[in-house]
Parts: sequence; C-alpha cells; structure tokens
Amino acid sequence: MKELSNKLSLLWLNYKKNKAIYWMALPVVLYFLVFKYLPMYGVIIAFKDYSVGKGIWGSDWVGLQHFRDFFQSYYFWRILKNTLLLSFYQLLFGFPAPILLALLLNELRHEIFKRTVQTISYIPHFISIVVICGMIVDFSSRDGLFNTIIGYFGGQSSALLSDPANFRTIYTASSIWQELGFSSIIYLAALSGINPELYDAANVDGASRLRQVWHITLPGIIPMIMILLILRIGGLMEIGFEKIILLYNPNVYDTADVISTFVYRKGISESAEFSYTTAVGLFQSVINFTLLIGANRLSKAISNTKLF
Amino acid sequence: MFLQTFITYLLTVQSGYMILISCIHVQILRRAWKYQILDMSARMEDSQYSGQTVTLWREMTGLLIRDTNSMGGREVMKRSWRKRLTIGICLMMSIAALGGCSGDNGSAGEAGGDGPTPISIWMSMNTNASITLKSMNEITAIKEWEKKTITKIEFQHPAVGAETEQFNVMIASNQLPDAMFVNGDYAKLFNDGIIIRLNDLIDEYAPNLKKILDENPEVAKQLKADNGDIYAIPHLRLGEYKTFGGTFIRQDWLDELKLEKPETIEEWETVLKAFKEKKGVAAPLLFGAPPKMSTMGPAAPTYLEAYGITNNTFMKDGKVVYGPIEPEYKEFLTMFHRWYQEGLIDPDFATNDQKTYDAKILSSQAGAFFTFIGGGVGRYLPALQETDPNANLTATQYPVLNKGDEPLFTGRSWEWSSSGVVLTNSNKHPEETVKALDYFFSEEGHMLKNFGMEGLTYTMKDGYPTYTDEILKNPDGLSVAQAMAKHFIANYPFVGEDDDRYNEQYYQLQQQKDAAVLFSKYSENTLKVGLPPTSLTTEESTEYSKIMSDIGTYRDEMFVKFVIGVEPIENFDKFVDQINKFNVKRAIEIQQAALDRYNAR
Repeated sequence: MKELSNKLSLLWLNYKKNKAIYWMALPVVLYFLVFKYLPMYGVIIAFKDYSVGKGIWGSDWVGLQHFRDFFQSYYFWRILKNTLLLSFYQLLFGFPAPILLALLLNELRHEIFKRTVQTISYIPHFISIVVICGMIVDFSSRDGLFNTIIGYFGGQSSALLSDPANFRTIYTASSIWQELGFSSIIYLAALSGINPELYDAANVDGASRLRQVWHITLPGIIPMIMILLILRIGGLMEIGFEKIILLYNPNVYDTADVISTFVYRKGISESAEFSYTTAVGLFQSVINFTLLIGANRLSKAISNTKLF
Repeated sequence: MFLQTFITYLLTVQSGYMILISCIHVQILRRAWKYQILDMSARMEDSQYSGQTVTLWREMTGLLIRDTNSMGGREVMKRSWRKRLTIGICLMMSIAALGGCSGDNGSAGEAGGDGPTPISIWMSMNTNASITLKSMNEITAIKEWEKKTITKIEFQHPAVGAETEQFNVMIASNQLPDAMFVNGDYAKLFNDGIIIRLNDLIDEYAPNLKKILDENPEVAKQLKADNGDIYAIPHLRLGEYKTFGGTFIRQDWLDELKLEKPETIEEWETVLKAFKEKKGVAAPLLFGAPPKMSTMGPAAPTYLEAYGITNNTFMKDGKVVYGPIEPEYKEFLTMFHRWYQEGLIDPDFATNDQKTYDAKILSSQAGAFFTFIGGGVGRYLPALQETDPNANLTATQYPVLNKGDEPLFTGRSWEWSSSGVVLTNSNKHPEETVKALDYFFSEEGHMLKNFGMEGLTYTMKDGYPTYTDEILKNPDGLSVAQAMAKHFIANYPFVGEDDDRYNEQYYQLQQQKDAAVLFSKYSENTLKVGLPPTSLTTEESTEYSKIMSDIGTYRDEMFVKFVIGVEPIENFDKFVDQINKFNVKRAIEIQQAALDRYNAR
C-alpha cells in the first residue's frame, strides 16, 4: 500500500516536471485505447454463438465449442503449417538480408554510390502493396516477364501463380525485394552509433576489414538485431494478410492459405461465421503473445538483451 | 496529372515522416520512463501491434502512400479502400454491435410535413450501369419513380467485387439502410431480427403485387416461406424468357472446317480437337473465372451436366442429391482430365479473371465459351467482327451424352429469381417503402421499369412499346445493355416483373434471337431437377452453410487437381470419403426436409 502511494507520488512529481511530454503522449494513448483496447471486448463472441439480432450479450454461450471445431477442422493443420512455414521462410531468408545489406553498404566508401544503392533498394517499400501484387501477378502470368526469362533459358512457360509449389518462393522472394532496403535503414542507424575510434584502434593493430566487421561492427549492432528478432518472432503467426489475399487463388490454397486469410474468407467474404472466425483469430493472437514472451525470455537468458 | 501525383506523393511522404518522427518521440519517451505503470502501455502496444513499432510507421506510411499510388486506377483505390474499411469495421464491429453508437444510419431523419419520404436502399451496382453512372439515383426511371411515389430514394452501393464482404460487415455492425436488394437467406435474416415480415404491409399497401400473387398461386408458393411469411418484394419473371446464357461457339470456324454444331460430348471432343489442330487455338474450350474466383466458372458445369448431375445439390427423382459424390462425377472428371491433357480446354482455367477471359475471346484464342445472350454476345460479337468481319458466334444446345437425349440442366430460373428488396428493422417508413416498391407492379410502373420514359426511350407502335434510337443506336456509342442501364432497370434484377417485349428487342442480333429460342427449347426439363426456392430454419441454415462452405472449398480445389492431374482419378473414392466426412449426409437431409416442406406448402 505504502509502496503504491510512493509510486503514485513519484509519478505525480514526474508529471509536474514533464507536463508537456505527458500531454503530447495523450493522443497516442487515446488511439490505443479507442482502436485497440475497446474492440477487444468483442472477443467475447469467440465463446458465444453470436447472432446479430441478439447482440453480443444476448447471444448464447457455447464455451470452447468454436475452438474445438477449429482444431478438428479438415483445414486446421494445413493453415497452421502454411502460416508457420511462410513466417519461418520470411524469418530465415528475410531477416538476415537487410543486416547483410547494411553491412555491405557500411563498407562502401564512395558516398554517392552508396546513397544511390540505398535509395534504389528502398524505393519498392513505398509502392503500395496492391500495385506490387498486381506487378507480381502480371510478371508470373503465362506470357509475363518471368516466363519470358524462363523461356529464354529453354524452360516451359506455365502459369506460375496457379502452381502451389511456387507460391512460397514467390511470396518470400518478393517480400525480401520489397522490404530489404527499408529494413536496412534501422541497422545503418545503429551502425552509425559505433565509436569510430574502435576502428582506428583496430587499424593500428592491423585488423583486416573482415576482422573489423566481425569484431566491431557486428557486436555493435547485436542489441538491435536481437530486439528486432524478438519483435519478429512475436509476429510469427501473423503473416501478411493483404498480400496473400491479393496473390492467391483457390488452386494454391494448399500452400498459400494462412490463418488470417482463412478468417477473412470464413468471416466476411464467403460465409459469415463471426464467432468461429473470432475464435480462430484469438487462437492466433494467443500463440503470438506466447511466442513474444518466450523469445524475450530466451534472448534475455542468452544475450542479456531484452525488450521489456 | 504527373505534377499532381508528384505533389500528393511529396505531401504523403512528408506526413509519413511526421508520423515517423512522432513515433520515434514516443519511443524515446518510453525509454526515458522508469515507472512500471507507464511502461505498461508501451508494452501492451507491442504485443498488440505484433511488436513492431517499425511496423507501425510502415503501416501508416504504407497506408497513406497506397492512396497516392491508387490514383492510377479507380479499381485499385476501391480495393485498397475496401480492405481498409473491412479491417477498420471489423475492429469496431463490437463497439457498434453494443448499440452505443448505432446513431444515424445514413437515411435522413423523419420526413418533414408533405416532403418526399427518404428511403435508403442498399444494392450492388450493375456493371452496365456503372459505365455511365455513379449511382443508380441517376437512372432516368428512378428519378421518375421518386416523383410518382413522393419518395426520396438514396441508393447505397458496395464496391464492385466486394459485395458479399460489405454485406456481411454491414449486417455484423447493424448499421442498416431502410431496405436492401438481396439474393439471400431470407429466413435467417428474419430470425436474426434484421429484416421484417411483409405480409400485412403487402395486404394493405401493395395492391398490385397482391393481385399478381393471387393470380399466380405457383409464384406465391415460391415467394412464401414454409410458414406463409413473405420477406421480400420480389423480382419476377412470369414471361417466356427464363434462360439467359449458355455455351457459344465460333460458327465461322465450324463452317471453315466443315463441321456440324456439336451436341454430344463426343461431338464436342471432335470439334475441339479440330479447333486445336487445324486452327491452332490456345483455348478451344474456355471456362473458369467469372464470376469471382470460382474455379468451375459457369461453363464447366455445362459439360458435367451432360452426365445428368450438377456441381451442387439437385433433385433426382424427387430426392435431394449432391452431385460431386455421384459416380457420374468420376466419369466427368476422367473425360475432362483427358481434355486437359490433350489441350482441349484452356490451360489457365483456374486463374482466369474477367479481363483475361475477355481478352482470349476477343483475340480469337477461344473456340467455345459460356456467356450471356444479352450482355455477353451483344458485346463480343460486334467487337470480334471489327477485327475479323467473318467472325460469327452461335449458340449450342446444352450438351448431352447420347444423341437424341434431352438436356436436363439449362440454367432456367424460377418465376421468383430468389432476389428482391427486404425491409430492415431500422426502416422508419415501412408503409411508404412498400407503397413505393409496389409501384413497379402497376401498369405504369411496369412500363417505366422495362421501357423507360415514353418519347425518350420508347414509343408505342400499334400498342407495342418500341425502343427508340436512344437505346438501340445510342448517339454516345453505348451498347444496348449500357444504354438500357442508363435509363431504366430491365436488363438486371430489380423489384418488378420482366417483360418479354423487352427481351425481344434486347436481343438485336439474329444470333441472340436464335440463342434465346435454342436455350428455351428444353428449359422446362430443369424444373424436374432444380431445387425450388426452399427456406431453411435458422439452425438448419447455420449448420448447412457451415458444412457446405467446407465442402465447397474442398470440391473446387479437388476439381482442379483432378483435371490437371496432380491427383489421380483413382483417388476419387477418397474424395467422396472426405466429403462424407464433412457430413454431406446431414446437408442433404436438411435440404430434403426443406424440399418436403416446400412441396407441402
């Protein structure tokens, strides 16, 4: 009790001191309250048989029925596998890519060249996902760019996006291409924070460029890498919904259908199973939450870097 | 244009950076705060947003920039808007459902004095109309209708291609217009308390519709639910024309190759082979795509139906049956797989969209395809003949297995097409709404709906309403379908009754007229196999749609796999087993019960 009042008085003191900052933060706090926390109330319908006419409270409780239905569903393993695999590929190939680019850019001494490379690499990030997907669909059509290239090397042309075997590759590769440059900015920022004297010292000791990268640059950005990795793992189950919706078609559901697209189809676009899909969405969030906490713990144990 | 795009781009990037900076600011604050309580909100913010503050700016900048980019095409903008709207509304769904902020639903308040009564109607916009108009309010006949019935109609249109999504979201959020034009599960909508029963209102305020229902007990039977309830002011087809589409083939190629118009599956194979080998056509039989992602499309079932079954539930000797688990489905798949291997069907059938579909037809890369007599042939044939004066299309009879068989499935619609206007529970003027809609069943309203304004769009010649050049040879170069859609609502479903005299003139080309006759020849057969407009109870409907939505996805995927050959035909039994596991038996039972109730009406 005493501790709490102590804390509160400290908070009050802090508020008086930094009034302006608190007020500046208010809109952000409100944003999260109104758009993120209030709607959470609707999660209740995952445990109810939601009927629009009866409203959220009026509908009947069904307990964990929707969760059981989902776990027993024919599509459960498929969408779980797809979600995890797509995320895993994104993590495996997509995560190190910007680090590598940042390291390479960091070694460049020619300012103009460096800037140009950087600008070109982050431009795709600013193109709308709708346009990007339009381009991908166009390029992978039977007479599109990719097929022209394949044909040039003597391959058979085929509708690339209608073959389940290609979806993961196309999805992951295009994501890397789109986000590579922009994601590397944060690493470049971290790199610029490394004390240049360390390099001078290393030079004096006769360390090669590679040695310098290994012993100075990389350790310098490890905390940043760890933090971003934790965040990334926290979102492991949450794979880009818009992009998949725009890219997939019933033929490639086999490899492309993920939890969020499944929720979208069942909940809004095909049938209107609100309760069921809320349950599925909640399942996804719970897993994400667990992964986030787990990754943070793990990172704390291993490298003493943590998010919270 | 470029400059404008550029400036908008600058502005959005600028505001993107502003958000970015404020986010960094928050980040710094977060680091600075030592107090647990304050850190909490930041921590939750992370788990909420899958953690990435980076994602936050990305999302924000991404969203903003998306708008600039979509300036290229209206369609793109619509799609991106639609997605954002959907997501946004989903998030707020619960708040809205609380009723706390249900507020005004778009319709203006109470009618003041003698002014027109405001009525909002939710309805998806027909593509022919959307070419010239932004909203159905601009249709000449609608303006006239408003004057005659002293109402102020406000149409609300969902984005093209997102009708189902927006309908579901609208229902879930309980933000309802006064009336909706739907083709749906009426009993469920009623039991959920979304729409109201119309029996008493029709008795009192819709004398014209009532008269039609009294005179046509068969139609009344279709319209009424099992318990006698009426939920919709219907769209009716009482005339002769009840079949509107089918498979068309390139007549000029048939002539060139000296081939007969195919009737049986075998003859079709011969013709398609000839198209493939002698004309080098990429897609001798084009199907798939429209409408929307359905891999079967409307054309493939035509060939399935030659085997006496269809792609869904239907009636076999008065009993409800599900087509894909019947042995005939295997025969069909075997045949279709062979056609695929031999290159007789479009290899891209699974990924076609409307654009590629049109492109293949117009570039003479398709030999036969499914389309509608009015909007389809009326559009393709003149365009084809522009590049190739010899090009010609002809309607083919629905295929059969053996010479002399009569086709069963012809796409014939029932008198009640199962679509109509429903009144929602938030309608403050139900009497006026019903009165206004009933106008279309009066003599005057019927003419207005089907022919438009006398003098402008039609003239009476010997008692026969004849369309003027405004419709048939539009000075602005609109096609007949587009000109009609601009002035009145005849060539797509809306409340009221279709007039055969409209169809007779709508089909201007000889090929269209022939097609209408050909397709109608066996259309009565469909009544024996097609399920009538039955109605399910809420429980049945929930259970049925749950079972069938799983089965539908599975069936469509497996159809593609069997045809392409990823899944060998030998596995057909496994396919049937899986559908049985989805409990198709229960779904059939539900439909059978509904059919029995319908027959007992």
